[in-house]
Amino acid sequence: MILLNCPNCGPRNVQEFRFGGEHNPRPAAPLAVDNAEWTDYLFLKANKLGVQKEWWYHRAGCRLWFLAERHTQSNQVLKTYCWTARPNREGETCVE
Amino acid sequence: MLNNALYRLEPQAGETIDRAQTFTFTFEGRAVIAHPGDTIASALAAAGVHVISRSFKYHRPRGVMCMAGHCPNCLVQVGDEPNVRACQTPAEPDMVVKPQNVWPSLKKDAMAFTGLFSRFMPVGFYYKTFIRPQAMWPLFERILRRIAGLGKVNPATPPDRYDKQYLHTDVAVVGGGPAGLSAALAAAEQGATVSLFDENPQPGGHWRYALPAPDDGPLPDLAAQAEAHPGITVYPETTVLSCYEDNWLSARRGNRLFKIRAGAVIFATGAYDRPLIFDNDELPGVRFGGAAQRLLRLYGVQPGKRAIVVTANDGGWRIAAGLQAAGVSVVAVVDERPESEAGAVSHVLQADARVFWRHTIRAARGAGAVEGADIAPLDAQVRPQFIAGDLIVINIGLTPANGLLYQAQTKISYNEDRAEFLPETLPAGVFAAGRVAGSHAGATELAEGRLAGRQAAAFLGLAPAPPSAEITALAGQKAAGPKRSSARVDVPGSQKRFVCFCEDVTDKDLETAIAEGFDSIELLKRYSTISMGPCQGKMCAANTIHLCARHTGQSVAQTGTTTARPPLAPVSLGVLAGQNMEPVKRTALDAWHRANGAGMMVAGLWMRPEHYGNPPAEVQAVRERVGLIDVSTLGKLQLTGPGAPDFLDRIYVNKWQKLGVGRVRYGVMCNDEGVVMNDGVTARLSETTWYTTTTSSGAGAIFEWMQWWLQSGWGGEVHVTNISEVNAAFNLAGPRARAVLQKLTDADLLNEAFPYMHVRHLTLAGVACMVMRIGFTGELSYEIHCPTGAAHYVWERLLDAGRDFGIAPFGVEAQRILRLEKAHIIVGQDTDALSDPISADMAWAVKLDKADFLGQRPLRQVAQDGPAQRLVGFTMARPGLVPDEGLQIVRPTAAGPEIIGWVTSSRHSPTLNQTIGLCWLPAPLAGQPGATFTIRMNGKLEEARVHHGPFYDPQGDRLRI
Amino acid sequence: MSFKLIKQAFSSGQPPPMWKPQPLKDRYDVVIIGGGGHGLATAYYLAREHGITDVAVLEKRYIGSGGSGRNTAIVRSNYLTPEGVRFYDESVKLYGQMSEEFDFNVMFSRRGHLTLAHTDGAVRTMRRRAEVNRLQGVDSRLIWPDELARLCPPLDLSDHPRYPVQAALYHPPGGIIRHDAVVWGYARHAVRRGVHLHQLTEVTGITVEKGKVTGVNTRRGRIKAGTVLNVTAGWAGVIADMAGVKLPIATSPLQACVTEPLKPFLDVIIVSGSLHVYISQSDRGELVMGAAVDPFASYSMRGSFSFIEGLAGHMLELFPSLRHVRLMRQWAGLCDMTPDYSPIMGHTSVDGFLVDVGWGTYGFKAIPVSGKMMAQLIATGQTPDLIRPFRLSRFEEHNLVGEKGAASVGH
Repeated sequence: MILLNCPNCGPRNVQEFRFGGEHNPRPAAPLAVDNAEWTDYLFLKANKLGVQKEWWYHRAGCRLWFLAERHTQSNQVLKTYCWTARPNREGETCVE
Repeated sequence: MLNNALYRLEPQAGETIDRAQTFTFTFEGRAVIAHPGDTIASALAAAGVHVISRSFKYHRPRGVMCMAGHCPNCLVQVGDEPNVRACQTPAEPDMVVKPQNVWPSLKKDAMAFTGLFSRFMPVGFYYKTFIRPQAMWPLFERILRRIAGLGKVNPATPPDRYDKQYLHTDVAVVGGGPAGLSAALAAAEQGATVSLFDENPQPGGHWRYALPAPDDGPLPDLAAQAEAHPGITVYPETTVLSCYEDNWLSARRGNRLFKIRAGAVIFATGAYDRPLIFDNDELPGVRFGGAAQRLLRLYGVQPGKRAIVVTANDGGWRIAAGLQAAGVSVVAVVDERPESEAGAVSHVLQADARVFWRHTIRAARGAGAVEGADIAPLDAQVRPQFIAGDLIVINIGLTPANGLLYQAQTKISYNEDRAEFLPETLPAGVFAAGRVAGSHAGATELAEGRLAGRQAAAFLGLAPAPPSAEITALAGQKAAGPKRSSARVDVPGSQKRFVCFCEDVTDKDLETAIAEGFDSIELLKRYSTISMGPCQGKMCAANTIHLCARHTGQSVAQTGTTTARPPLAPVSLGVLAGQNMEPVKRTALDAWHRANGAGMMVAGLWMRPEHYGNPPAEVQAVRERVGLIDVSTLGKLQLTGPGAPDFLDRIYVNKWQKLGVGRVRYGVMCNDEGVVMNDGVTARLSETTWYTTTTSSGAGAIFEWMQWWLQSGWGGEVHVTNISEVNAAFNLAGPRARAVLQKLTDADLLNEAFPYMHVRHLTLAGVACMVMRIGFTGELSYEIHCPTGAAHYVWERLLDAGRDFGIAPFGVEAQRILRLEKAHIIVGQDTDALSDPISADMAWAVKLDKADFLGQRPLRQVAQDGPAQRLVGFTMARPGLVPDEGLQIVRPTAAGPEIIGWVTSSRHSPTLNQTIGLCWLPAPLAGQPGATFTIRMNGKLEEARVHHGPFYDPQGDRLRI
Repeated sequence: MSFKLIKQAFSSGQPPPMWKPQPLKDRYDVVIIGGGGHGLATAYYLAREHGITDVAVLEKRYIGSGGSGRNTAIVRSNYLTPEGVRFYDESVKLYGQMSEEFDFNVMFSRRGHLTLAHTDGAVRTMRRRAEVNRLQGVDSRLIWPDELARLCPPLDLSDHPRYPVQAALYHPPGGIIRHDAVVWGYARHAVRRGVHLHQLTEVTGITVEKGKVTGVNTRRGRIKAGTVLNVTAGWAGVIADMAGVKLPIATSPLQACVTEPLKPFLDVIIVSGSLHVYISQSDRGELVMGAAVDPFASYSMRGSFSFIEGLAGHMLELFPSLRHVRLMRQWAGLCDMTPDYSPIMGHTSVDGFLVDVGWGTYGFKAIPVSGKMMAQLIATGQTPDLIRPFRLSRFEEHNLVGEKGAASVGH
């Protein structure tokens, strides 16, 4: 994966981007979840060998944070897309 | 002076040298004559210098063997440059060329005695000796290091200029031989832009040097067509080094590095000679067919005077004929095939050559150079016969140059029929053509090149895909074509037989290693070090696989290959590094600081004034009069929109909803682990406009952090803009700060109009500025943010205005002392990757009762359990002692000192004339002001006392004057 | 000259094999997944210290094919936290005895380890480490450019570099070791004591019944075992997932490279935290160099061009005279990075399923001590004090180890 397709700017060299880690939604109400769920969110990782949904940031470009689905062995990127939902403070979670 | 004429022939068609000019260089102190176009090795060969180097382990003499930059036998030192491949490096006037790792001379190398003890130095011998006594190992190691290595690094190597260039192309063709040229033309004809890379001065590949001069190809035509085609750019003398994902290639030409993005890549990288393993198989005078041909045709140099040609294909016969035509006496042609399998080639030879069918070489003979060869029938157990000669041409097979194909993740498998490793499955967008793909007849090479060119164009959507019938037909044509490689990799023998020339690994070494349990190709490589030297397996990898297969009873296919790792050819650090591109950030006042005596320091990417000569005096100026510091390096973010307070509430531990317009608040930012990430002040400029500062080093990361939360769900009605470099900022601090500022503005600056922790838009000396009244230094102070373009002007006006008030610029060091006197923390110095704000003495900022914010959950836990460690101030019992930052706080116990904390900040306070500092301590101890503890300084324990709150002006009265 | 070599020199036969293949049994007391240094060391100490020999080491490829054979073989104990220092110091001591213990020269070369400080913040951290080290009895101190110039003459100590060198943490016992030899030594002696070593034996599943591990499935068949140890570094998450255990680990490639051999001129190990590079010169004369882990998580070991470009640039900042030196080979290994730059050793939520993972960029240094500690844990069921800070449950207890500050380049 030398090329990464920024949803705004198109395919660019991966060095223009910052990796943001695997997609790991924050619990909507952190105080309400149990310790296991909170630990899972804070520390545990699926660390998938296969297609992983993950965050990228176009640092040297449009400054978009977007999602990518990438195979972690071949580094082949299957698709990239914007995070789309516009949630409010009542805890709507993301819909992609 | 060496006699240049000894081996130089009359001019040859297509030679690269310019005979009109000559120059000299030196080899081991002796002058060598060369022509422009000569390589170091061709000039040495012309002068009859057959020994160029000594081998790594046994210091055996070695000479030019491959003439293609693949083997390690011609590595020399050229001036400051070690490990230069003499056969690939153009000779230049006055070059100083020296042999490497020999003493006292190439001819009389003292270390050659190691060969006598080789039976005591079997594979991996160093694992089995120097074990006892253990104390002796460092001594043994010193001796080993004395004899190890090849070329030398000159510590005084002067700098040079390197650069890098990006290329974008539809199709990259690697290799400018017949297949590569025709591929480039075919792709370009379909409308693709094509870049053709060839490591030689001119394209043409093996057609440039093949013996006899080719009658089977329109080379000049092809090369001219490619040069003339507007869609093709030819890059000669350019070596492609690596291929990564998405057809990302690197290549080198001289001191220039190319980084190439290609839509499709065609590898037409050709093939190179495969060695045969026999006794003394690397004696100088043993040369590959390719070397003999190159020397003869490209440089007009006879590779020897009396040749024994060892072959397994018709190409060997053509070489023999070519040698004869150039006046070399061919004393024998030794072909392992029966005459019935050979093409109609033998008649090309003149009668004086002896011909041996179904024979092979058993040994090279000679003291330091070839004096003849032992020849024997393949099967019969008869005594070999000796044939005298000074050149042994080995031409028994080819290794496809598939390193880049491997790097491109091509599945490559062993083709038993062709006895070559050939591509089986190519990745999308990657194509192979020519000898690397097993095409050996001229017509097939051209056809395969054309096909690959069209396939590449089709892959890019520029042309229809070639019909599959055509692909099948070509495969059939290839399979029916001439076979170039013998499946035989070795012949019987009894003396030293080197598989690996870089590391002097013999076939016996491999057999021993396999018997010892290193019976997979990768373990064998690691134990024997085979393929790990300068040639990186180009000479030995294929033969090793065959031997490993034989000794483990597996097939070649089962044995597999080792991983081909980039780069394909060694590349210098200078070329890889290119120009120095370490970024430096300078504030708008950088020149002013330097002109005014500032000692500059590195602060992340920034350069900042550490001081202007006397930090304590700078502190005194701020405390007693007024000082001015450049804080332009602060991160500056503008938040706009009605959603800003909601967003700030979630990002910071503080509350923001009720911060009124015109007010400023200090804020602390945590992550969800409750760890302090950053701090700074935030001002509300209007109902919907906020201005936040971050630490200098954190500006970029905090902006990205905010963007992440904004763009992943918390972005309701707020925009964040990074204006860190848009604005410059200065802090005007000291009891006379107001008076100074007042000289530049008519605005009312009195406490009632512009109180502490407020922000105002002021016009200073005609420049619209934003001014925050805050107090990191502990004095009345104004942080002035103005457009970067006006920074120098405003700065000078402030200094002018302050002249009567005793103003002085102050640097980072004075600021550190000033803030420490106030016990203000620096995030990243006083806190680390596990520090939470409650433990770091900032519990007052943490509003646990507000709605969800980053860090709320863990901070509630800390608040409930109480911190284990706390950051507190300290003073020293003994005057004058200043413990360095980083020292440990220990408690003496029976078992020795136990670490209970550490010093994060410490200074002598010029204001208080005592040592002050911050440290981490166990919470119970930290909770008792005046309690004593001990800091370990130079091995001694020194008493310190807990101090709570600021050391200076604890009530903060001076901030509010 | 050793007697063995003399014997080998005059014998017509071959030296004895280091290890021999054994039949794969359908049950073992202990199954160790991963034939790297950690797995083989655990097997060795189980057999030697605890008499537990019904042990199988299962390796997907060949022994040492993962991080053990891909690291840059630096051994040191100058860590930041007291628990880290104690642990690695024990490891350095065990490495010091290894050649004699195995009668196999692992070529431990204590040539001195220097961590350069280019900023005042780095100087502070180096001083902190030096103090912690010395309090644990480890030879480590902060030195200034004059002494640095004596220890490493080719280093550019002028103010020309973008980040001039200010000081260094000097750790004389730090050294280089022949990494493959460590793996082979443990393998040979584990096998001699009865351990079964199965190469080319990939684990495809782990069976768990009622919260207890019962065995593993491999490409060569099923094996029953009451104790299964996951020692698979970069693949730790994949293996743990087979047992239904989720780990705080992200796998990232760590790249390294080597130059052509040069006459030895660099005797010490140089690490620069600010420039994220490190370098040493092997006894063969090659410069072995590396940098920080790759900027994104991946299981790919292809390596990248930006890595060698960046490394070369930074290396020439430290050693401008190396511009002609040619890089010969680059490679990558997979690192199992944890949030606190410390390993995870011990029990999991599945009874009998243990882990020795999360070694990130520093696993090689810990092979002997972690093997010994894991063997003790398996044999006694009790977690030794030395590895208690590294338990998996520290994450749910929110009690992380504070090594992160020193580990920007953990070599």
